[in-house]
Amino acid sequence: MVRDYLRREAVFFVSSAIILFFIAIGAARPDLLDALSSAIHTAILDHFSWLYLISSFFFLLFAVGLALSKFGTIKLGHDAERPQYSFFGWIAMLFAAGMGIGLLFWGVSEPLIHYLQSPPFLTPETPAAAEFAMTYAFFHWGIHPWAIYTVVSLSIAYFSFRRGMPALISSCLYPVLGGRIYGPAGNLVDVLAVFATVFGTATSLGFGALQIHSGFTHLYGISSAISVTIGLIIIATALFMASAILGVEKGVQILSKINIILACALLLFLLALGPTPYLFNIFSSTLGGYINNIIDLSLQSYPFAGNEWSREWTVFYWAWWISWSPFVGLFIARISRGRTIREFVLTVLTVPPLFTFLWFSVFGGSALYLEQMPGVDLAAIAGNDVSFVLFVFLEHYPFSALLSLIAIFLLIVFFITSADSATVVLSSLTSGGSMIVPLYKKVFWALALSTVAIILLITGGLSALQVMAIMAAFPFMIVMILLCYTLTIGLAQESVRQ
Amino acid sequence: MFEKTLVPVASGERPGELSKIGFILKSLGSGSVCLFHVNEAASFFRGSDLSWLGPLAQALEDAGLSVETKTGNGHIASAIAEAALMEGADAVYMKAKRRWHLETMFLGSVSRDLLRLSDVPVFVHKLRPRLPDEEDRLGREDLIVLYATDFDAASVRPLPSVMEFQGARCHVLHVRGRMADPATERRRKEAVDRELHAVEEDLRPYFGWVTSEQRIGNPGAEVLRVSEQVSADIIVLGRKTPAFFSVPMGDTAERVVNESKASIFLVPHPGTPDGS
Repeated sequence: MVRDYLRREAVFFVSSAIILFFIAIGAARPDLLDALSSAIHTAILDHFSWLYLISSFFFLLFAVGLALSKFGTIKLGHDAERPQYSFFGWIAMLFAAGMGIGLLFWGVSEPLIHYLQSPPFLTPETPAAAEFAMTYAFFHWGIHPWAIYTVVSLSIAYFSFRRGMPALISSCLYPVLGGRIYGPAGNLVDVLAVFATVFGTATSLGFGALQIHSGFTHLYGISSAISVTIGLIIIATALFMASAILGVEKGVQILSKINIILACALLLFLLALGPTPYLFNIFSSTLGGYINNIIDLSLQSYPFAGNEWSREWTVFYWAWWISWSPFVGLFIARISRGRTIREFVLTVLTVPPLFTFLWFSVFGGSALYLEQMPGVDLAAIAGNDVSFVLFVFLEHYPFSALLSLIAIFLLIVFFITSADSATVVLSSLTSGGSMIVPLYKKVFWALALSTVAIILLITGGLSALQVMAIMAAFPFMIVMILLCYTLTIGLAQESVRQ
Repeated sequence: MFEKTLVPVASGERPGELSKIGFILKSLGSGSVCLFHVNEAASFFRGSDLSWLGPLAQALEDAGLSVETKTGNGHIASAIAEAALMEGADAVYMKAKRRWHLETMFLGSVSRDLLRLSDVPVFVHKLRPRLPDEEDRLGREDLIVLYATDFDAASVRPLPSVMEFQGARCHVLHVRGRMADPATERRRKEAVDRELHAVEEDLRPYFGWVTSEQRIGNPGAEVLRVSEQVSADIIVLGRKTPAFFSVPMGDTAERVVNESKASIFLVPHPGTPDGS
């Protein structure tokens, strides 16, 4: 009986043991953790940074290929099923799940940093550097992340809704593993998904906490010590743990909707009060450049000059999206039941990226506009403290204190909703795909997420967060390539099945 | 099946070898042989002297076969394939040479082209069954046949040929990919089992022992593995339309023909792009 229990709970025990081991090393020997993670991270980047680029481009081609193929008409569910959510509601949830904190964190700072610290083949702070900065901001936040999510969510949706299997990553590998998905091989795949989700989400929570702290420091002058950031994480943990345990799904949904409306309002406010035609020009020309150069951007690693830059930015982003993909993929799959593959892929690859492009045009474009004004040096601030620059940027608008408060509110709600969803997803992944999970698992994963974020912030701050995202994504990237293969097998068998 | 067999020969063939081939064809039911040679572009050394064909024909006649000798021109594999059709041959017999191990394992380009182009079945004789000595005959009672099928039109077509081989044992093998979910996999397995049992029943009158199995995996690798496990003498395969990305003959058939120690009887599928 005990043996059966251990076998059934293998994914939970193994993944929790790995996370606890990581936390223990981080708490006892942060220097050792830093050295170890840096060594693995360097090895991955030295040998496989190209693989991140090629795989992400392949995921994009795969997703588009599926949508345009004869498989595009296959429904993610039974043939007679209808979508559960309205189109607008679906889009809003897609967007909230896929980006959230990241847009606020990087919306202003990323274009500014590229502008100030461009790769060696570009002269910083020139029009060419500005164009490069905007193009790469579009590229990093454009259709590639959504293609990565699409691969995971399509696989989960297809194998669970259409093939009646549990909503687990291991279920999607049945065509190659067969009955072994119920044994160590399947467990390993689910453990990798848990590992990626914990570190991917912890990275985002770390970013969020840093920026919330910066906001409070900017507004109220509170201490910028790391202990305050940790305190903020502990408070937010109490909130999202309560939300996950009490199952206040409706409350979270309402908060998410309010967040989307507030984010849109903030965007429109900045667009209206900023240099509107200039921002639309940036949107239009950057979009053109992005579309025109998408193949080059996708595969470009600047091996002769700028490879380091490519690793620090593009590879980090691809790894981050991959590490988020089990969590976001499961969530998107759940809300997309009843839609066809074509509708799913084409919507996911167009609507959220278009909104993101507009976001970066407004936030990043306005920041670049302000940067060119005498006496404004946003780029230098972004170079020193990425999390701080948003609030300095908002100072240049009317009602800046209110805008900063809104930004902090957005960050807190994104933090809570993301962490709440991640807790539920992690609990489900470690409970055989069931949505009814024991309380202790929710508590464990909620605490684990926050503790990992705290440990990472203590050991190395922002760079430690980035290192862990890249490390956690690597094994899952291999799983994703397998997912493409098994999904193709499953779809090719549709005629046999019928 | 082998009533009239076309045997392509090239200069340098030894009459002793042809004699053994004659015995084996005789034991497989062949009555007549068309000895066929394709004249290559003018050879500096040989010219147009074809007198070397005489002793080869004699060796086959000594084995009790009626022999006619024909020659052709042009692309070798195309000429053989065309001659097999024009002469009304039931099959083409090819010997994978034993003198060099590599030649046994990897067929030459002519043989590969012929396997792809021929509209009549091709028998590629490999290490098994062993060529009989002069006084021996290939014993049908020891013959083990492996029939690989996936129940599509191309692989059902060789069934009558399997029956004609007769012999000690026939093992029917079905290799397929795994279905995408456990429930569909279970249903598929049951359906394949039913079909395999039906084929077993069809073959039972012709063999002393008929068995079947289904496997999941790569068809080429599984056919080769099972062929060694059952010590098959002959593998009977249907030739399929190759996939777009595969080499012209199709992955499975080519791999089996290249790597098998057992002989292969490859039956084309008329009406397909490479079989019509």
